[in-house]
Amino acid sequence: MKRKFDARWVLHLLLGLGGLIMIVPFVWMILTSLKSRADIAAYPPQLLPTEWVWSNYQAALDYAPFGTYFRNSLLIAIGHTAINLMLATMAGYALARVPFRGRTVVFMAILAMMMIPTYTKIVPQYLIAKGMPFFGGNDYLGRGGYGWLDSWWVLIIPGALTPFAIFLFRQFYLSLPRELEEAARIDGMGEFGIFARVMTPLVKPAIATVALVTFENSWNNFLWPLLVTTRDDLRVIQVGLAAFQLAERTEWSYLMAGSTLATVPMIVLFLFAQRYFVQGFATAGIK
Amino acid sequence: MTSTLESPSVAPASRAPRPPRRRRRLGAERRRAAYLMLAPSVIHLIWWIGLPVVATFGLAFTNYDVIAGTIEWAGLDNFREIFADDIWNLSIWHTVVFTFFTVPVAMAIAVVIAVLLNQRIKALAWYRAAFFMPHITATVAIALVWMWMFEPNLGLFNLLLDRVGVNGPAWLSDPDWAMPAVILVSIWKGIGLKMLIYLAALQNIPHDLYEAADIDGASSARKFFAITLPLLKPATFFVFIVSMIDAFQVFDQVYVLTPDGGPANSTTVMTYEIYRTAFGEFDISAACAQSVVLFAFLLVLTVIGRRLTGKDGDEA
Repeated sequence: MKRKFDARWVLHLLLGLGGLIMIVPFVWMILTSLKSRADIAAYPPQLLPTEWVWSNYQAALDYAPFGTYFRNSLLIAIGHTAINLMLATMAGYALARVPFRGRTVVFMAILAMMMIPTYTKIVPQYLIAKGMPFFGGNDYLGRGGYGWLDSWWVLIIPGALTPFAIFLFRQFYLSLPRELEEAARIDGMGEFGIFARVMTPLVKPAIATVALVTFENSWNNFLWPLLVTTRDDLRVIQVGLAAFQLAERTEWSYLMAGSTLATVPMIVLFLFAQRYFVQGFATAGIK
Repeated sequence: MTSTLESPSVAPASRAPRPPRRRRRLGAERRRAAYLMLAPSVIHLIWWIGLPVVATFGLAFTNYDVIAGTIEWAGLDNFREIFADDIWNLSIWHTVVFTFFTVPVAMAIAVVIAVLLNQRIKALAWYRAAFFMPHITATVAIALVWMWMFEPNLGLFNLLLDRVGVNGPAWLSDPDWAMPAVILVSIWKGIGLKMLIYLAALQNIPHDLYEAADIDGASSARKFFAITLPLLKPATFFVFIVSMIDAFQVFDQVYVLTPDGGPANSTTVMTYEIYRTAFGEFDISAACAQSVVLFAFLLVLTVIGRRLTGKDGDEA
C-alpha cells in the first residue's frame, strides 16, 4: 500500500515538472508583456514585474494596428469554420448515405487529397489566385492585374474547405442507423430534409471537432496570408506580429503583448473545449 | 471505424423488394440530391488542390515566365539548375538534420509522457493540457517568445546559464547554435500531438494483458517493453509518418526565428528555399521543381516508414 502511494507521488512530480517546462514560455510571455522597460533591462533579472504595466497593451495597440489584425483573423477564422461545416457536412453525407456510381472513386480522391503536402500545391495556388479572371484588374483570361491578391476572397475562399472535414463527417454519417432515414422518407421527407433535420443533429460531436480544429488552423495560419497580402489593413494577426517584430526588434514587452493577444484566444478556447480538440487531433493527426 | 465501412453495401439485400420503377425514381432523386450536395466541395477541391498539384508537377518541367506569360518545355533543366545551387543542396541537408533530431526525440518524450498520463490519476486533463498547449497556439507568436528567451544578453536561457557560470552563446545569431535552437523549439512544439496520438492508442490496449503479466510476475519495465511498445507499433507508424511530413515542411518557426535562412544560411530548409525561389526570385518553374523534390522525399519516407513498422499502420 505504501509503495503505491510513493509511485503515485513520483508520477505527479514527473508530470508536474514536465508540464511546468512546457508552459514556461507562456508564463514568461505574459510576465514580460507586463514589465516596464527598466524591469526588462534589470540585472539581476526579476521573475515578477516590480510594477505591473498594463498600459503595455495599449502602447502595443498604438504601435501597430493589432486591433485590426485581431479582427481580420477572427473574421477569417469564423468564415473558414462556417464554410467548412456547411460544405463538408453535405459532402460527407452524400458520400456516406447515398449510393451512386463513382462514389468510391470520389472518396479515394478525397483521401489522397488529405495527404497532399502543402508545398506540393502552394505555388500554383498563388498563381491561381493571382490569375483570377475579372478580379483586381484582370481580363477574362486572368492577365494584367493582381486577381484575388490582397483581397478578402483570397484570405477566405482557398482555405475554406478541408478534405479532412469531409472524411470525418463521412465516417460519422456512416455510423448512423439506416432506420432513421427510412422512417423520415416514409414520412415524405426529401433528401435535403433528411440530411439537415434528421441526420446532421446526430453528428454534433463531429461538428464540434471540425469547428474547433478549423478555427484553430485558420487562426494560426501564417504562410498563405503572408504570401497573398501586402496591405496592412488585410493583415492577419500572425503576419502582423511577424512584421512588427521585423520593425521593432527590441520592444520586447510590446512584442510579448502582441504574442499574448495572438495566443490567448486559442488557449481559452482549448481549455473550455479540450475534449473535442483531443478527439479531433487524435483521429486526424494531420494538420 | 472500420466496421462501419461495410454497413451500407450489405443492407439492401435483406430488404423486401419494392416496385422497380418507384425505386429507380427514388434512387435517381437521391442521386441528384447527392450530386448537388457534393458539387461545391468537389469543385473547390479540384480547383484548389487537384489543379495545383497537377500544375506543380507540370511546371517543374517547363520554363514559365510569370511576367512575360510565356511557357515552354524544359525537360529536366529545372532539376539540373536547382541541384547546381549549393544553397538548395545545403537546405536539403539542413532539413534532414532538423528532422533527424526533432522527430525521434519528440517521439521518445511523447511516448513516455503518454504512458505516464495513461494512469488513473487526478488532474490528468490539466497535465494533458500543459503538454498539448504548444501545439494549439500559433507558431509565429510562440516563436517570438522563444526568440525573446534566446536573446543573448537579457534572454531567459543566458540568464540561467549565467547563474551556473556558463557564458551562453548568441543562439539565433550564432551559425553553430541557430539550428539547435530551432530544433529545441520544434521538439517542444511537437511533443503534444504525438503524445495525444499515443495516449489514444494506449487507451485501446486491453487491460487483461497487463493483468496476465502481473500474474506471471512481470516487472513494470518488462511490461512496457513486452506489451506496451509492441502494441503501439501502428500508432508509432502513424506518429512517425505525420511527424516526418511535418518536419520536412517546417517553415513558420524557421522563418520567424532565423530570418533569411539564418546566420550564414545555417538554418535554411527546403521549404524556405521554395519560398525564396518562388516569391523572392519569382522563378516559378524552379520552385515547382524544388517542390517535386520535397514531395519525392516525403513519398520515400512514407514507404520506408511503412516497411519498418509493418503494413497495418493506418488505423491509429
